[in-house]
This record gives sequence, structure tokens and C-alpha cells, in this order.
Amino acid sequence: MKYTTSVNGNTYQIEINSAHQITVDGEIFAVDFESVSHQPLYSLLLDGGSHEAYIEYDAEGWQVLHRGDRYTVSVADERMQRLAQLGGLQADAAGREFLLKAPMPGLVVSVPVADGQPVEKGDLLLVLESMKMQNELRAPRAGTVQRIRAQAGQSVEQHALLLALV
Amino acid sequence: MINKILIANRGEIAVRILRACHELGIATVAVYSDADRNAMHVHRADQAYYIGPSAARESYLRADKILDAARKSGADAIHPGYGFLSERADFASACAAAGLAFIGPPPGAISVMGDKARARAAALAAGVPIVPGTDARAHLSDAELIAAAADVGFPLLVKAAAGGGGKGMRSAASQAELPAALAAAHSEALAAFGDGTLYLERLLPNARHIEVQILADMEGNVIHLGERECSIQRRHQKLLEEAPSPFVGDDEELRQRMGALACKVASAVGYANAGTVEFLMDEDRNLFFLEMNTRLQVEHPVTELVTGIDIVKEQIRIARGRKLSRKQSEVRMTGHAIECRINSEDPYNGFLPSIGTITTSILPTGPGVRVDTGVYAGYTVSPYYDSLLTKLICYGESRGEALLRMRRALEDYRLIGVKTTIPFHQKLLDSHRFMAGKFTTRFLDEDFHVADKPPTNPRIAAILATLVAHQQGQQTAHIQQHNVRDTSNWKWVGRWERMHR
Repeated sequence: MKYTTSVNGNTYQIEINSAHQITVDGEIFAVDFESVSHQPLYSLLLDGGSHEAYIEYDAEGWQVLHRGDRYTVSVADERMQRLAQLGGLQADAAGREFLLKAPMPGLVVSVPVADGQPVEKGDLLLVLESMKMQNELRAPRAGTVQRIRAQAGQSVEQHALLLALV
Repeated sequence: MINKILIANRGEIAVRILRACHELGIATVAVYSDADRNAMHVHRADQAYYIGPSAARESYLRADKILDAARKSGADAIHPGYGFLSERADFASACAAAGLAFIGPPPGAISVMGDKARARAAALAAGVPIVPGTDARAHLSDAELIAAAADVGFPLLVKAAAGGGGKGMRSAASQAELPAALAAAHSEALAAFGDGTLYLERLLPNARHIEVQILADMEGNVIHLGERECSIQRRHQKLLEEAPSPFVGDDEELRQRMGALACKVASAVGYANAGTVEFLMDEDRNLFFLEMNTRLQVEHPVTELVTGIDIVKEQIRIARGRKLSRKQSEVRMTGHAIECRINSEDPYNGFLPSIGTITTSILPTGPGVRVDTGVYAGYTVSPYYDSLLTKLICYGESRGEALLRMRRALEDYRLIGVKTTIPFHQKLLDSHRFMAGKFTTRFLDEDFHVADKPPTNPRIAAILATLVAHQQGQQTAHIQQHNVRDTSNWKWVGRWERMHR
């Protein structure tokens, strides 16, 4: 299986030849890859080099935490690439709705935005108090605030929908 | 006599105090809320008493329930730890009234130091300079504070009169930023301390936050155990501390002068037990009294490692009415110690708290490594309490060795299930300014960002992500194939025919 993988502006052509061999941009490597005790923790032996990383998938892509560095990696296989070329995956991230959900249970301290208000990336959307701290939840991108579901003084559960950004 | 101690706290500090008690052969009593039935301190104590619902104000902040647990368990002393009831003079008095030894300072000293205005007045009277600011005793309204701000001078800090630990504190660079800072500090102070009174204090540019650990016995002997460097703060929350301070360095004259000032402040209020005097040090090494913390500090282990003194045991010794085990001349700082606070927060996402169940916890060990933790694999981090999970403390003969050891230990630590500040510390330790010791209290907020430097190994990250994506893709494909084979076409036709009979 062939993959096109990009991270930090670099793109790599990676082919999985077998369980123990991969080709990266034409260069062949011996690999041994295992997950550690069924955790999102993985061990990679690559031509004798030992690497360990936490790897999780979220809305932005694969999050790889390796020796204190965090990488956001996008991995596309041949089928996804063909679909992208045919225009099947044109619904890009900016066009989709972003749903702001409570990252933890807490108390809504303030909602400094109003329905229909345009916001820039990094603007404050909501202040949530949890673990004795006031946590500022900010816009991950520019958009318009809609469907505000939370108000100041309200207790919310984890993953509760707070507002939408379109 | 102290034969049984009730620990009115939770988390890593409760476990730390349990250890000291057990080494001294003293029986221990833990208290716990609904959320903490399975917390480490409950498992490790000799006895444990339930004190109420998860919210701190219904359990760990309920003096009546804690005193009740002490009475039922037969404890003869209470150690308050830090936070919660540790700096409440009324609680210390209530302990005494109930015939219990309070392992901390006398109520009078707590109330003077707990009131920032009286604390500043006491320091000034003892000949210790203070930072310019408004009088916290005046209970000024927001409008009065805004009016007074020009005299204090910008930039300034809005602080809670009842405050501590950076809670209820906001900075304002100009008159325009002040109203928002006041509002935020007010609500945070009210939530954290039940008292929203605020005051203003000048923010010293390029200042360092350096504090002195002191010990005082009930006969009035006061000694200091040297300083701790605490300038690495994010929004006034300390994240990393070290002893000695790289700014004080070899300047033994400055160290002793600072220590003597701290002892003077303590003596002035009739202090007993362990305490910490916090100073700001400006670029010219001028010292200003900031506040005194009348309790055990989170960062006490760095002092323990460089002086060899067990501060918690010393606290118990003092509470037993005995003299300090050492004279000032017998206190010596050797080597260097660093503490990293590992919080359940996501450093790559604005330090947002993270909750969940810890699935793996493999502690770093080896030479010069100490871990003070309150969590274990299987433990669930709840949203009710402080996000501090564990403290990693490393010792080295020199600052360089301690740094390298800390780097190694952070890499060794496997704490999975919640997001932690471990990667933040790894990046911080890689920063040249930190390594060189050239930082002020503004460093983290202004000059350092966890994602600043380009990551070093994008190709390895790409390979790792691809292998995981491939593995998971194979798994889904396998499951689908399995389902298809599960029901043969013949069976499917048979069922379809029966349905339509």
C-alpha cells in the first residue's frame, strides 16, 4: 500500500512493502512496529534506531508526540488521493462547521460572543471554569458564531455542545 | 504528644505527608470526598474517613467535617498540606480549641500574613522593602482602584487580598486593560477564596521571583534553608522551580542577606513551623517583600534535596514542641535540584485541563530522581481539584547535571490517559535562555512558546503516523471482510424467501 504523508510542510512517499519493510522516498528500510500494551503508545525500530511515540487521531489529523515534539501529520492512501483528484474530497476544512464542545465538565463563566457575530482565528469564544482555573476557549479559525447553547453561570458536562462556528 | 496525624488534604501532598508520618512511626488518617474514594492517599493511610461530596467546598474545605473525622479517628494532630484549609487562621484556632495540634504556624501569624496589607505593613516594620501598591485593607471598589492605578503606576498587577497561588491575579499594562483585569480577578478570587477583595501592586519589569524557606520552632529560633528560584511561571502559576537560584549563584553574601530578611519577617509575626517568604528581585538585585506563605510549599522538595533536611518531618518535630534539629551554621546547600510540576493540562492547547483515566504510569527512576505523585494507572482524574498530578524532582552536583538528568527523567516518564505538561517541560529544558538561566517572571508569557522551535524529526513522525494509519486501515478492512463472509449468499436468499412467503 502506498501513502502520501505530509508533516510540517514536508511530503513523503511511503510504501508499506511488508510487515517488516517500508520504502520512504525510494529508500528501503527494515522496520519493526508494535503498539505497547494496547495503549496509543507505539514502538518503532527503524534500521536499528528505536523510537517511541504517542499517536492519536483527532479532527486535525494524526497527532504524534515524539521526544517532546508534537507533529500534526496527514496520511493519504492511494484511494483517498484519487478521490481528492476527482474532486470527491473538496469539502475542505474551512467550509465545515466547527462545533465548540466542552473539553471537560465545568462552569461557564462568560460567553463574550453573540449569535451571528463574525470572529477571527484566536478570538475568545467562551470562558469555562474547571480545576479552579478559568480556561479561555478560542476560535480555531475565522467564522461566524451560531447556535450558542451555553450561557454564563451554567454547568456543562464534558463534550456538551457550547456553540457552532460556521 | 503526637501519635496519630490526620491529613486534611488530598493528591500528591497528602501522600508526601503520609510518607513522613510512616517514617516517623506515626499513625495516619486520610479524609476523602466522593471523587477520591480510590485516590492514592486513601489507599496508603492507616485509616480513612469520608467527608462529603466531590466539590471542595463541601468536603476538603469543611472544617467541621474534618474536625469530626479527627475526633472519630482519635487523631491528635492535623496536617493541612497546602491549599484548602492550610492558610485559614480560624481553622488553626478551631484545631487548638478541639485539643488538636495544628501542624503549621500559630493562628495569629496566619491571619497577619493572610491579609496582604497587614503582611506588607509587618514586612515594612521589620525593615524589609515592599513593592509599591494600594492598601488591601481599604477594600477599595473597582472605581477607587481605577482611580488609584495612576499612583501605583503601570504595568501593574491586580491581586486578591485573600489570594495565593496565583489565583485571582491579573496584570494590566495600561488604564484601558484595567477594567477587564479587575472583573476577571474579582470572579476568580470569589470562586477560589470566597472573598473578592482586590488590591493593586506595581509590576516590576524584569523581576525574578525568588523565595526563602524558613523553619521556626516554638522557642523563637528561626533559620532559613536558602532560596528557591520560581520565576518560571505561566500566568502567575509556577511550573518549574529550582534550588539554588541561578541568579543568586555563588553570591553567598546575597543569599545570607536574603535569608536574614526572611527570618526577620518571620520573627516579626511570631512565626513557628515551616514557612516561605517570597521576594521579587529586580535587575540590580534589589529585594522586595512579596508575601509569606504560611504553609508547606508545593516546591519544598528542591530545598530538601539540596539541604538534606526533610521539611515535613521537621514540621512535625516543631509541632511536638521540640527545638529545631539544626542551627543556621549547620545548614548547607550542596548541588542543585529542579522540580517540574506535571499537571493534567494540554501544553499544545492553551494548557487546557485534561481529565480521564490514567491507563499507564511508569515512573522514572535511577540516580538523582524523586517522584512525588498522587496518581497511578487506573486512577481517574476528576475536574474537581487542582490539575497538579505529580512532581518530578531531579538532583545533580551542578545545575548542568540536574538539567540533563531532568531531561532524561522526563523522557523516561510514561503517563498515559490524560494530556500532561511533560512535553512542555521537555521543550523548556531545550530552550537556550532557560539553560543559560537568563529568564524573568515574564519569560513564559512573553518569550517562550512550546511550539517555537521546529521539531527535529518530521520524517520519523511521518513514518510512525503512516504505520499507525496503515495498521488501523488493515484492521477495518479485515472486519468488513469478516462480516461479508459471515452470512453466505445462499443463507441470505433463504432468509429473504422465508420473509416473503
